[in-house]
Amino acid sequence: MGETFYIFQDGQLKRKDNNIVMSTLSGQKKNLKSEVTDEIYIFGEIETNSKLLNFLSQQKTTMHIFNYYGFYSGSFYPRESNVSGHLLVNQVKKYDNTEERVRIAKEMLKSAAHNIYRNLRYYNGRGTDVESAMKDIQRLIKRLDYCASIHELMGTEGNIRKIYYSTWNAIVKQDIRFEKRKKRPPDNLINSLLSFVNSLIYTTVLSEIYKTQLNPTISYLHEPGTKRFSLSLDIAEIFKPLIGERMIFSLLNKNQITEQDFEKESNYLYLKEAGKKKILIEYDQRLKRTLFHKGLGREVSYRYLIRLECYKLIKDIIDEKQYDGFKIWW
Amino acid sequence: MMDLKFGGEHMYIILMYDIMMDKTGAKVQRNTFKICKRYLTHIQNSVFEGNLTELNLMKLKKELSEYIRKEQDSFIIFNSRDEKWLTKEFLGKEDDKTSNFF
Repeated sequence: MGETFYIFQDGQLKRKDNNIVMSTLSGQKKNLKSEVTDEIYIFGEIETNSKLLNFLSQQKTTMHIFNYYGFYSGSFYPRESNVSGHLLVNQVKKYDNTEERVRIAKEMLKSAAHNIYRNLRYYNGRGTDVESAMKDIQRLIKRLDYCASIHELMGTEGNIRKIYYSTWNAIVKQDIRFEKRKKRPPDNLINSLLSFVNSLIYTTVLSEIYKTQLNPTISYLHEPGTKRFSLSLDIAEIFKPLIGERMIFSLLNKNQITEQDFEKESNYLYLKEAGKKKILIEYDQRLKRTLFHKGLGREVSYRYLIRLECYKLIKDIIDEKQYDGFKIWW
Repeated sequence: MMDLKFGGEHMYIILMYDIMMDKTGAKVQRNTFKICKRYLTHIQNSVFEGNLTELNLMKLKKELSEYIRKEQDSFIIFNSRDEKWLTKEFLGKEDDKTSNFF
């Protein structure tokens, strides 16, 4: 797996000596090793030129850009080089076949719900009583089986998430009142944190999709809209509990992130730079965390689990093996 | 070869060199330095460090071999299975140049 660079400073990003160089106004320089870099996250204000973008495209490096407030703006997604017309045709066919689409979407949601359940089970065993929520979620997971349309699936998923979020006040040891997931705009610390972390997962999934032949715009669970890579949203759904939400719980419960990391004047909407950095360092470590994969018989990282998910999807799309979503097994 | 950027076993590399500064020395140094920093982090005057896949290491060696003069220059590559098998100790100024956060 290649490397990921996170840039917080303001300055210029340029191509020099067939390499990517970041330089700040104060004269500091950093080499982003072009041959091994897969992803660059930009949080600062960067000046750059098409020469660099051409080079990034050549090197197949994705660049994710976040605005001044830390919200995801978009990605520089280099020209697709892993393309497969055969796969694309089949990916669309699967989408168009309602029965197949519902089957794949259902499998994705079941995995997501299972992973949510496991998060609750973890905290239930550690002195937080979320027993009743667990039962409710278990019941809803069973109900997923009987959903016949995407609409119903989404409804059930909404219910699962609602129950899940209702337990957060108990799980999070800091005194934060979190009642409801609100996105536009997030209205308290946890909502802001969730939005930020989810956007990170979304970009990581996008980078992993880029390495496969899948087309990121054709999705199954979410409606493939225009102007967004909705397949990323689909796959991110499965990994949010494992990578994002566990991290949020741990950051808050260890008091690594507190109200002080947010701009108070903005009603805890904006993260301060130091806060963003802390989250990213932790996020980066989590993606690198490895575990033993029974099927493959070797250690794989969390990041690689995402790629494996893409491969499983490909196998389903070309009718080689039915898609079996990732469920936390340890 | 480009397409294999994402694959292969990883290893942790420390590379250091001595280049004889005769007539063509400066040129060799300039070129090899440019190559090394595309693959590894430059941590001290003639020392580089970083994580590479087997394939990237091969690419690096091949690129270097075009410039290295067999009789004058010496490159040493230490190779460790993983960064965690390596303890790093700083004496004097502590400066973590290998950080991916900037």
